[in-house]
Parts: sequence; structure tokens; C-alpha cells
Amino acid sequence: MTAATGLVDRRDVSRIPARLAGVVEFLRMMSRKPVGLIGLIGVLFFLFLAYVAPLIVPLQDQVDVTAIYAKPSWTHPLGTDFQGRDVVNQIVFGGGDIITTAILAALFSTLIAITFGSIAATVGGRLDQIILAITDVALTIPQLILLIVIAAIFRPSSFFALAVILALLQWPALLRQIRAQVLSLKERDFVEAARSLDLGLLHIIFREMLPNMRSYIVIHFIIAMTLAIYAQAAIMFLGLVPLSGKNWAIMLYFAYNQGALFFKDSFFYLMGPIMAIALFQLSLVWLASGLEDVFNPRLRN
Amino acid sequence: MATITPAQGELQVRTLQRSPLSQVRGHLGGLWGRPITQAIAKAFLTIFVTSTITFVLIRLMPGSPVEIKIDELMQQSQISYAEAAAQASGLFDINLNAPIQDQYLEYLGNLVHGNLGNSFLSRGTTVMSIILSVLPWTLFAVGTGLLLSFVVGIALGLVAAYRRNSLLDHTVSTGGSIISSIPGYLIALLIVLIFGIQLRWIPITQMRGAFSPGITPGFSPAFIGDILFHASLPITVFFLTHIGLWILSMRSATLAALEEDHVTVARARGLTDFRITTAYVGRNAVLPLVSQFAIAAGAVVGGAVIIEQIFVYQGVGLRLVASVNQRDYPLMQGIILMTTVCVIIANLVADLLYSKLDPRIGRAGGATGK
Amino acid sequence: MPVLSVRDLSIEYRTRRGPVQAVRDVTFDLEQGETIAIIGESGSGKTTLAVGLIRLSPRSARITKGEIRYDDGKRAFDVLSLDSERLRRFRWADCAMVFQAALSAFNPVITIWEQFLDTGRAHGMGDKHKVHDRTRELLDLVHLDPKRVLSAYPHELSGGMRQRVLIAMALLLDPRIVILDEPTTALDILTQRAIIDLLRELRGRLGFSTIFISHDLSIAAELADRMLTMYAGRVVERASVDDLFYRPRHPYSVGLMRAVPRVSGALGSVVSIPGSPPDLIRLPPGCSYYPRCPFHVERCLEEDPPLMQVDTPDHEAACIRWEAVAAALGSDAEAPVAEKLA
Repeated sequence: MTAATGLVDRRDVSRIPARLAGVVEFLRMMSRKPVGLIGLIGVLFFLFLAYVAPLIVPLQDQVDVTAIYAKPSWTHPLGTDFQGRDVVNQIVFGGGDIITTAILAALFSTLIAITFGSIAATVGGRLDQIILAITDVALTIPQLILLIVIAAIFRPSSFFALAVILALLQWPALLRQIRAQVLSLKERDFVEAARSLDLGLLHIIFREMLPNMRSYIVIHFIIAMTLAIYAQAAIMFLGLVPLSGKNWAIMLYFAYNQGALFFKDSFFYLMGPIMAIALFQLSLVWLASGLEDVFNPRLRN
Repeated sequence: MATITPAQGELQVRTLQRSPLSQVRGHLGGLWGRPITQAIAKAFLTIFVTSTITFVLIRLMPGSPVEIKIDELMQQSQISYAEAAAQASGLFDINLNAPIQDQYLEYLGNLVHGNLGNSFLSRGTTVMSIILSVLPWTLFAVGTGLLLSFVVGIALGLVAAYRRNSLLDHTVSTGGSIISSIPGYLIALLIVLIFGIQLRWIPITQMRGAFSPGITPGFSPAFIGDILFHASLPITVFFLTHIGLWILSMRSATLAALEEDHVTVARARGLTDFRITTAYVGRNAVLPLVSQFAIAAGAVVGGAVIIEQIFVYQGVGLRLVASVNQRDYPLMQGIILMTTVCVIIANLVADLLYSKLDPRIGRAGGATGK
Repeated sequence: MPVLSVRDLSIEYRTRRGPVQAVRDVTFDLEQGETIAIIGESGSGKTTLAVGLIRLSPRSARITKGEIRYDDGKRAFDVLSLDSERLRRFRWADCAMVFQAALSAFNPVITIWEQFLDTGRAHGMGDKHKVHDRTRELLDLVHLDPKRVLSAYPHELSGGMRQRVLIAMALLLDPRIVILDEPTTALDILTQRAIIDLLRELRGRLGFSTIFISHDLSIAAELADRMLTMYAGRVVERASVDDLFYRPRHPYSVGLMRAVPRVSGALGSVVSIPGSPPDLIRLPPGCSYYPRCPFHVERCLEEDPPLMQVDTPDHEAACIRWEAVAAALGSDAEAPVAEKLA
């Protein structure tokens, strides 16, 4: 697993400043397999939609009883919801919360997984066995069910709290794989060298091994985001989380519970958030797939 | 949910080349005797930890349900704290006056006897009986869907690998990747929305519930047909959610198996393509997938919750949501435990199956010796 | 009538940089009961040739021209012209191949017996008992205990045992030709000795013809009647064992002989060949051994020399300077490897 820059062939881009050259080369490698590029574009699009678009488009929040479940038209390209509010507007404003929470959750779970996975692998022995046992148990408990109960009991009222809860349920799989990676890296020469120089454990982990796992971690971060979105949407759809505000999952909840299913014209009120979530998930997965091909030459056909 | 990219599937296949069981054995070294002992020990450990977690969740957390219940009772019936506590004791089936360790031990003791307490709502009914009445429906739908997706997915994955880079391969792989990336409940919603409501192809209102009202349960073909009818949508969703994973994993595994030396030798021996595909490539490729099956079984129980909600299918998931909304804590606790037990059993079965299928695991010694 | 006649066989691989000419214009005959050893460095094309003879090359390889004529007295055909079903039946029944990595030559999830049965069944031996009898017979021949071996799984057997089982399996259908690709490379030296003795014994008993691929000259010398030296995909010398060891005429063969240490030799007697094999995608004009050849002259660059007769009719070398080579060697009291064989 080498970092992307190690594979750069700079012949053609020698005139462009180094940083930009790296980006150009990266894009070129991605475009070899269209899936990754499409994923990248998709993710960028949704990030733009969620974070930049709300700064441009004004929020349309007023209830308009005369326009409940209006048909799609020029003023309301995807129709309106059960309170007459524009659907497109809601989608624009609905991404930020979900994505932010997902990023936070992925961040937390990745940190937990990296920390304990590397410690388990480098220290070994009893500690390793304990960490592994905990991980195995955590993997066995059905995550969504536990998540539902925890959400029901703790009723997280901030997105931050929600992110923490989500993170607590996602680290096991990643931890195992980080641990396996570190185990295989442990035997390599540069680690031997670092050990013989008596550099501390943390130094070895963070300065020697992790840079080699950069690509691995990035990909798992993205996958963790997809899991976080999946879980978020699940518990919000079930109405378990008393979070107000607009986001795609809550749109789903309202749509489902306000009978949007049964009106022909409210089709997009449901389809909108469904498509938003589904397409974002797809983009993330494809981006991860493309990155895997870029980072791991062995898997290239 | 089964989010998997093609390369991830391949990585997973490689890490799963040995069964989870043998990995455990590898970790603990020579400490343990037979693998079955380890598996059972791990099972008990998991149940123990899970029950402790639920105990902590329900009893010890600040703003614990018990305290909330006591407050509720005090407000509802205008009784003193002591009386409310007494009532709560009965409800939760625990002695609130005893020290916390004793409560914990009593709780564990009850568990060992299979006593999960009584439901809040229906005071006379035990949690265990409620769960046992709904769990089979979930297992039926989930199990059928998963098995079907496994069989079909493996077949498609095998073909895709054999016809690598063909149109079929690209279609199947991309299709599988797309479907597995979309959360199961979204697929369920889409089915209801598009096929049920907009196109009216599927009579979803009729398909609610586990079986039609009025039909007498039994092993009659009419009844079986009826439950299949009602379970068909959930089964379809479980099928679609997982088929991508099997296709991609089997494709990876088959491609790896095709590279093996013994396949080349088999061709040199003049074996028929059919025999090579089934016994030489197929059997070796499927091995790591058996472990993945166990892991998927664990994940799917969780995803079933929402899908049952959408299709109003009276399985354990629907009950869980109901119990959450009704604050029926013993039931919630019980469901967590029972579903964990299901996952544990699935894991054990998968490990046993794996050690049966792969003679390299578990057979000590052999005819070695020069 | 030779049992195998190979004419101008050429095999190329598709790679990103271009087609690799792994085997070029290979021509040789294999007589009934004869053993031919093909020697050369790794990358010389030996294995590609061996695998190509039963058309088992990987997907990226293509046989661009040539003929592989098989004639066992009852049937005669060009192997390259067989359709897939007839090719399948040809494999193992007429021509069997013992591979290099016997360690992974067997299906790990089924027993050894089942694999014998598979082999028999694939070639029309429907009667289980007949297959069993024949298998037992062969396992005895290779000095293995059938009871222990047949019920075992491959991972339960040692490397040496697996190699013997593979040899026994190769003989299951009584093939006319057995190809052995580095059959002893992965084994320790004691097992190597045992396998070689075994091969000699079997050959004597059953009378099959053998093509033996090796980079180990001493083993090749023990088992072979005639030898082919391959370099950069071409056969550069064809001779009897004696001729090749005592009177090599191609500079590469000479180099190979010199590179083998003598048992009794002084430390300075080992000379490795300087340089490395040519790029098989962009072959330089003329003789491909030119850059490493101590005997080269200007004329060598003009064209790749064909095999030409040297000394005796049975001895051929692809070198225009063979007489100079002969002269240079004539002054050498013994050929380097002769002592080891004595």
C-alpha cells in the first residue's frame, strides 16, 4: 500500500507547480476507471449542494396551506410537501446536517479503530486478546437494534451526540482490519529500525506505520460515512430521535407519516430524499471503489 | 446493509480465507483445546456482555428508564416515591431496595432461567413468550431472503468471473454494486412507492401483516401460500439488499481460485470443465463466503427492523419499534438479547459448516512424515 | 517414428509493452522410450514450451506457428489441430505433465483418492474398482502406502510424498509421454535423490518417453539421453548427453557448463555468465547471445544463426563460430562437469 504520490509519473506535468501536478495526476488515474470519477463528481456535487447551496438559495420556510402536495411546476420543480413548502428547497437545506453528522461519526469511529487497532497489534499479548474479544462481541450484537434502543433511551438532542452514538457502533470492523494491516507492517524493516532506535510506541504508530496506511484509512473513512448515513436515516425514519430541523431523513419521516405515499402528486416529496440519500451513498461507494484502484496497483486489472 | 465495493469484496475474501473460529484459535494459541469449546465460550461471553450492557443501559444510566417510570407513576397516580418505587419494582421485576450488585446478580440469575421479565404493556405476558411469537416470522423472511440471495448471487458471481470483462460481467458487477450500496429500507420504500402506489402492480395493502386475517394457521398449502404471499416483499428486499455482496465476493473468490495451481493441473489432467468448475474452483471459492454469510446474518437482523415497519410485517423488528414507542423496557431488553443469541447461533453454525467444508481446519496431524 | 515431432513451434505472450516472443522456432524430435532434457536459465522459454506442448498456456499466450505431431503407432495427429474435447482426452492419457509446484498441485478440499478417481472418470474409466486397483498398483510403484495416502487430504502429506503421488497420478492412464517441469526444485536434496531414482526405475519399467525441464544440469545429465539447450526462446544446441557435457559447441552451453561448480574443483573454477538475457519484446538483430558471448564477431550481428551440424550428424548448434569454440575447448583437459558424473 503506497501513498498515491509514490506512483506519480511527472513527465507530462513538469511545468505545473508540484501540488497541482499531484492533483492532475490523481485525476488522471481516477479517470482510468470511470466508476471512481463518477463517484468523485457525485460526492463533490452533494457536498456543494449541502454546504454551499444553502448560502446561495434563500430558505423557504413558510407554510402555504394552499399549495399542499402541489404538482411539479416551474416554481416548485419537485412539488411541495404536506405544508406547502418547496421540496427542492428542503433537499438543498437537508443535506448539511446528515453529512456533517456522518463525517463526525466516521471521524470518531476511525479514530477509535486506528488507536485501538494499532495498539492491539503493536503491543500484542494479553491486551491484544482483550481488545480482540471486545471487538468480536461488539461485532456480534446486531448494531441497528442496539442503536435504536440507545437512541430511544438517550434521546440525543444534538447532532454531535448523535455522531458519538453512531461512532460507538461502527468501529469493530475497521479495528480488525487496521489491526491486520499493522500486524503485517510490524514485521517490515522500517519498523524494526524505529524500534531499535527506541522511538516510543506512539511515535512508531503515528509517524511510521500510519502514513503507510493512509490510503486504507481514507477508504474506510468513506465507508464509515455510508454506514453512518444508513444508521442515521434509519433511526430518524423511525421517529426515534427528537431532532428538529430539516434533513433528508426527517423528510422521509414526515413524508411517510403524513401520507405522502398515497397521493400521486406527492411522489417527489418521497422520491426526493430517497434519491438524495441513495445517490449520495452510491457516490461515496463508487468513490471508495475508485480510490481503491488508484491506491492499490495490485487490484488493477 | 451490505455496502461493498468490488475491491473491498476482494479484500474481505482475502482476510476471511480462514473461518472466524480458526482466527480466534490462532490468537489464543495453544491455550485452548478443541475449537468447539472456544466457540461456546465466546458465545457465553457475548451473551454475558450483552446482558450487562442492557442492564447498564436500563438501570444505571442517568435518567434511566426506571427513574423515569417512577416519576411517571408518581405523577400519574399521585403516590409517594416509595410506593412508586415498589410498583416499579414489580414492573421491572427487580428489587429496587437491594444494592446494585444484587440486582445485577438477580438479573443474571433470571436470564439463566430464561426469564426475561414481563412486558410493561401486557402485564401477564412474559417477554420471552412475546418474542417467541414474533421472532419466527422475522427469521423466516430474513432467512429465506438471505439464502436465496446467497444461492443466486454465488451463481451469478461464478459466471461473472468465468466471463470476466464481458458485458455480462460488467452488468452483473455494476448492478450488484449499485443495489448493495442503497440501504435496504430505501429499496423497500421504492418498491412500495413505485410498484405499489404509482404503478399499482403490487397489492400492498393486502400484503400487510404476516398472514391474512381469518386464515387458520397450520401446515396446509393454503396457509403456507398465504404466508409466502405476505412475506414475499420483505423477502424480495432482503434478497436485493444482499445479492450484490454475494455476486462481488464470489466473483473475487472465483477469480482468485482460478489462479490456483491445482486448477491448471486439473486441466492438464484432462478433467471436464464441469468438474473443474464445481469441485475445484467452486468449492474453493465458496469457502470464505461461508464466513461472510455468518457476518451478514448478523447485520441483517438489524436492517429487518425498518423493513418490517414499512411492510407492516409482524416480526421482531416491528415489535421492537412498538416497544420503543411504548417504552416497554423489558421487551426492548429482551429483544436485544434474543437477537444477539440468533446472531451467535448463526455464527456458530457458519463456523461448523466451514470446518466441515475445509479439511485444512481442525484435522490434527495426518499422514505426514517423510 | 518419433512419438513427438515438434516443428517451428513459436509462442508469444501479449503484454502491455508489446508481444513477448517467449518461444521461437523450436524444432526437435522425441523418440519412443527416449528422455530429452531441456536446460537453460529462467526466462529461456523452457516452461512456456513445456506447457505449450499440451496447449495449457495462459490466456495471454498465443501459439503463432508450428506443429506438434504426435504418433504412437496407432494414431497420429497434430496436437495444435485438436478441438477442445479431443484435446482434453489427449491430455494426461497420451501426454501427462508433472508440475513444478507439487505443493499446490492438488485440490485442497478433496481427498487424494477422489482426485485419482476424478482423473480416471474423466478419461472413461467408469469402473471404480479398476481405478482403485490401478491406483494402488501405481502407489506401490512409487513406494507409498495406498491406505495412508488415499484417504488423506493434500495438506496432510509432505512435499516429497505429494510429488510421488503426482508422478503416480501421471502414470494412471499409461501415457506415452511424460513431461516433467522442474520436478525436484522445491524439494530438499535427499528427497530429490529419491525422486530421481524413482523416475529412472519407472522409466525402465513402463517405458514411456520423457521430456525433462530443468535448470539443474547434474540431474538432467543423470536422466537424459539427449539434451536441448534453450536461450531466449530458441533451441541453441541439440546433442546427446555425452556430446553436450564433453563437447559443447554453443558458447552458451559452454557457459552453462562452466557455471556449475565441480565437486572437487578449486574455488576459482566457477565462472558465471556475465550480462543478462535479452529483452524478448524488442530482440536485437542477429544472434541473441551476442552481448554475452566471448566468441562473437561482426558477422554474428547479421542474422540469428540456425541450428547447424557440428562434429557428428546427431549434434547441432546454432553458432557460426562453433569451430572456434571447439578449438578453445580442445585444450581443456576435461569438460567441467565430467568429474561430477564419474
